Amino acid sequence: MKPFSSMTMKFANIWFVLVVLLLCGKKHFGTRLGNSSQEAHICPGCSRLTLKVEFTSTVVEHEYIVAFNGYFTAKARSKFISSALKSSDIENWRIVPRNNPASDYPSDFEVIQIHEKQKDGVLTLEDHPNIKRVTPQRKVFRSLKYLESDPMLHCNETRWTQKWQSSRPLRRASLSLGSGFWHATGRHSSRRLLRAIPRQVAQTLQADVLWQMGYTGAGVRVAVFDTGLSEKHPHFKNVKERTNWTNERTLDDGLGHGTFVAGVIASMRECQGFAPNAELHIFRVFTNNQVSYTSWFLDAFNYAILKKIDVLNLSIGGPDFMDHPFVDKVWELTANNVIMVSAIGNDGPLYGTLNNPADQMDVIGVGGIDFEDNIARFSSRGMTTWELPGGYGRVKPDIVTYGSGVRGSGMKGGCRSLSGTSVASPVVAGAVTLLVSTVQRRELVNPASMKQALIASARRLPGVNMFEQGHGKLDLLRAYQILNSYKPQASLSPSYIDLTECPYMWPYCSQPIYYGGMPTIVNVTILNGMGVTGRIVDKPDWQPYLPQNGDNIEVAFSYSPVLWPWSGYLAISISVAKKAASWEGIAQGHVMITVSSPAENESKNSAEQTSTVKLPIKVKIIPTPPRSKRVLWDQYHNLRYPPGYFPRDNLRMKNDPLDWNGDHIHTNFRDMYQHLRSMGYFVEVLGSPFTCFDASQYGTLLMVDSEEEYFPEEITKLRRDVDNGLSLIVFSDWYNTSVMRKVKFYDENTRQWWMPDTGGANIPALNDLLSVWNMAFSDGLYEGDFTMASHEMNYASGCSIAKFPEDGIVIAQTFKDQGSAVQEQRSRTAGQAGVCGCAGFECESRSTCRASHTTQQLPEKISLEVLKQETAVIENVPILGLYQVPSEGGGRIVLYGDSNCLDDSHRQKDCFWLLDSLLQYTSYGVMPPSLSHSENRQRPPSGAGHSLPERMEGNHLHRYSKVLEAHLGDPKPRSLPACPHLSWAKPQPLNETAPSNLWKHQKLLSIDLDKVALPSFRQNRPQVRPLSPGESGAWDIPGGIMPGRYNQDVGQTIPVFAFLGAMVVLAFFVVQINKAKSRPKRRKPRVKRPQLMQQVHPPKTPSV
Amino acid sequence: MVRDRNLLQVQEHEQPILWKVKFSPGNSSQLSNQCRNSVQGKLLITDELGYICERKDLLVNGCCDVHVPSTKLFSCESCLPNGCCSIYEYCVSCCLQPSKQHLLERFLNRAAIAFQNLFMAVEDHFELCLAKCRTSSQSVQHENTYRDPIAKYCYGEYPPELLPV
Repeated sequence: MKPFSSMTMKFANIWFVLVVLLLCGKKHFGTRLGNSSQEAHICPGCSRLTLKVEFTSTVVEHEYIVAFNGYFTAKARSKFISSALKSSDIENWRIVPRNNPASDYPSDFEVIQIHEKQKDGVLTLEDHPNIKRVTPQRKVFRSLKYLESDPMLHCNETRWTQKWQSSRPLRRASLSLGSGFWHATGRHSSRRLLRAIPRQVAQTLQADVLWQMGYTGAGVRVAVFDTGLSEKHPHFKNVKERTNWTNERTLDDGLGHGTFVAGVIASMRECQGFAPNAELHIFRVFTNNQVSYTSWFLDAFNYAILKKIDVLNLSIGGPDFMDHPFVDKVWELTANNVIMVSAIGNDGPLYGTLNNPADQMDVIGVGGIDFEDNIARFSSRGMTTWELPGGYGRVKPDIVTYGSGVRGSGMKGGCRSLSGTSVASPVVAGAVTLLVSTVQRRELVNPASMKQALIASARRLPGVNMFEQGHGKLDLLRAYQILNSYKPQASLSPSYIDLTECPYMWPYCSQPIYYGGMPTIVNVTILNGMGVTGRIVDKPDWQPYLPQNGDNIEVAFSYSPVLWPWSGYLAISISVAKKAASWEGIAQGHVMITVSSPAENESKNSAEQTSTVKLPIKVKIIPTPPRSKRVLWDQYHNLRYPPGYFPRDNLRMKNDPLDWNGDHIHTNFRDMYQHLRSMGYFVEVLGSPFTCFDASQYGTLLMVDSEEEYFPEEITKLRRDVDNGLSLIVFSDWYNTSVMRKVKFYDENTRQWWMPDTGGANIPALNDLLSVWNMAFSDGLYEGDFTMASHEMNYASGCSIAKFPEDGIVIAQTFKDQGSAVQEQRSRTAGQAGVCGCAGFECESRSTCRASHTTQQLPEKISLEVLKQETAVIENVPILGLYQVPSEGGGRIVLYGDSNCLDDSHRQKDCFWLLDSLLQYTSYGVMPPSLSHSENRQRPPSGAGHSLPERMEGNHLHRYSKVLEAHLGDPKPRSLPACPHLSWAKPQPLNETAPSNLWKHQKLLSIDLDKVALPSFRQNRPQVRPLSPGESGAWDIPGGIMPGRYNQDVGQTIPVFAFLGAMVVLAFFVVQINKAKSRPKRRKPRVKRPQLMQQVHPPKTPSV
Repeated sequence: MVRDRNLLQVQEHEQPILWKVKFSPGNSSQLSNQCRNSVQGKLLITDELGYICERKDLLVNGCCDVHVPSTKLFSCESCLPNGCCSIYEYCVSCCLQPSKQHLLERFLNRAAIAFQNLFMAVEDHFELCLAKCRTSSQSVQHENTYRDPIAKYCYGEYPPELLPV
């Protein structure tokens, strides 16, 4: 059984006051350094303020700015510069000292003076591997001018509070929301000058153009699955039906969430929705306590199918993509032609936090942006993690749209503004409803064709990668055009593979490929607008371009045998051919696939429709890097939720008890990956057992937070590999059976106790792996801050080293003992059946189970109690061990007891510096003196007197393990699976070349945008958001777009704008400070008792 | 005109439910040579007459091509004696057997409250079978697991067999 079957969702309610000024006039940015000015005309209803920033700059003689390709200490920077300048015999130089608080921290630049051979100096500096560029120092003179600035009294009234509304799956509220990133709003508040009219989201997206053409959603059945809607809400004219699927006896919305969502879709007055004439079907599937179950959804979805719903909005989600009944039902729904739009989740900015069902191929998954086109911090990031460990995740969200400070209907009328992907989703659902009503040939509209139209028309946001923005920002009018000239066809998402394109194709663009590396996998989604079912005809063809070195790569495919519903995957594995082992350059080619579906229309003779799609491919190849620079990340031995109860690595994170982010270098270990890349390491991922990699290729195998067991063959092979020079770094985590027993919880639905199947890591398994070297971790459980090699460190629920070889180096620290402080579990008084979340507890945010288990927060509750206890302080806890294997040419082994400092989720202090030092040791044999001569060094523990942790009796790890299988008695290892084998596609070389920019190639066939005319609307539309990047700008309002800002290759001009932006913000605050004197201070509440939403803007809101 | 349905309110009245299901022989929309069908299938599809066929053998009017040998009428392939089938389309085809009418009527008379929304909206035998065969709240244990992950589509009176997870 699956212990944590619940899909939960949380509506968090930390909200803060953000005084926003909305920039609503034209913006003119100068683009040249030297003399720029910016004017910000602020909205006409309010007072007018025009700020002029002018500056000039001159080159400072002899001074240069040296920019490094990473952050280094002052000492390291100085070393790099001196070693570079020494090589060209320059002695007369010095570093210009910087005396500011930041100089204590690593920096990525240095200012130097060179008084001789400057040109040579600059050139040699630029050749240094750690130096990115050298530019002359400039002195900048700037002045600010206010052309007019009155106190802006009107604007005070239009200030609005922005509230973060979270529908996160697991209760993560208090710590991470409250004291963590929710307060870290620097990025938002310091960003730029905003102007204060709350946005009418439908008009901002130009829905009024379609309204003027007579389209209002009429005849389209749209379902809102939410908290209900009151009967006589003044905003809605066409509520067809309300149904209740919960155990509460009401159809009304007691929270406001459902009303708001319905309003964004179909409100006809005040804050207008997109499709006021659509037929609204209200499905109440959430109680006022925000409780919901999979089974309620199943019945409600069945009713939606029967009612032939066209568009369905689901502003909820959860992490359990293995809730098969639910996932199957969503497939069934879209297979019955229901266009499903769903919120991608509010678990950003962490990666790997996509919510189901928005992460499904057949669903339109929507992320959030603010009105300045920044990806909202809360918006969940890709990739999907269904495919791990063997495969690679899909690109999601599909598109993004406004989800921050959007106005919608209040519970009883009036308007309010809310934030969250819960808000972004109905924006798209409303737009989709409106779009459906514009299409004459309704039989052409289906979940795939709608999604194709949305993603082909979306506007890409500059500087944002595909796991954040998907295909970009919703563009309603272009979607309208595409949809109305649509012909049934297949298309691909992404529609091209340019592994060199940064930042859009991150992470691919962050590391070139080379011979001998693990194949790079791109998981492409096939959308098939021709029919609910389809297939790939024959096989995909790989056609390398000979003039563009396409024959230097090899390509293998795996794909869905049947494309259903409306979609499937095409996974493309790319490898470098042996002949290019020492080659450097770009290789290109394309893949052709033909998709067929049974004919559905009155086509004359053929029983099949087919569609052929070309997928351009471009990769950067480099010569294989030396072994020492290659790090292999062990993905295979990671286990996570879903399906099992794998507890968090940091027990303090009571609100996020599950380990659910995939533990991949491109999800929650992304920062670590970026750091390793910046240090020049090449990181590859091992998605198969240790028996499946060639250890002679890699310097270090990195094992972080491993929960899986090991095949005996793996243990043997790894020993041999280490003897032959492979090094091993293990970042472990806690494993303490008494704590594990105490974080068990009683599940009301299944009427049994649920116990975690491992601790933070699986230490008994790791100890089996390490035993040959006489090493082992303990079952201790420690936490605390400490200093190591003059770095601030934090140990968050880690273990200690119990045993280490005598000739190794061991570092110890003083910690609090978490394990001894665990209190016995109190018996829990059951709340009402079906209550999921916070009954009886003080919770800072409520959660909602989409599925069953009602008591998920119990382990958190316990851990909270655990950690409230006075804890014992233990000295000399060994946490770090370094060891050189004695055999000739043998590798090195490093153990560390806590993985939290590498993990992006809940990390307090990173230890990337430590990882650097450890890699210096494992890859190059350089022992960092800061460790070998540390005052905290102590004799390696012999293990005597310590019993090593045993596997917890009765654990169910075998249910989720790839290694174990159930047996009478103890589970036994399965037989070792075969290593993955790729069969390379037979190349069909072409004498062709591809254009340099693959993105611009046509995304959908047979679409003639000119054919679908729009009424002239520009003249009377004074202010529309500048539409984003590049592209034709067909809908860009003259003067509305900032030159350069959205240009993909602005390069050097960006800093200028950043600077200008900063000046504008500065000026803004000057004005605000003046204003603040004349008005009462606004409260900055941190709501403890969460409600789904707050009445943010009282009904006095000026309505439109 | 808002229609409100609250299943719990219905329960309060304790009055017999007025089903509008008509088991008219020959079925309802058969006036025009067009067939409704089960729409969703990956490989198979069932039309309202009870024929099950491969998707490629579906005619443009929505009916299965009865001249293709693989097309079957009222087929209960993959269905267990308890009335649960492992393939949805067979469940629908089997459920459309005229002889299943009594079974369905019996079921309707004791339909779980949770189903009233659904089955009160059903108009005929075909719609009833489409709806009845779908997985529902009756198909799961612990919410996120099927009672029987194989035979989960049931036309019969009982939920799928409860298998250990």
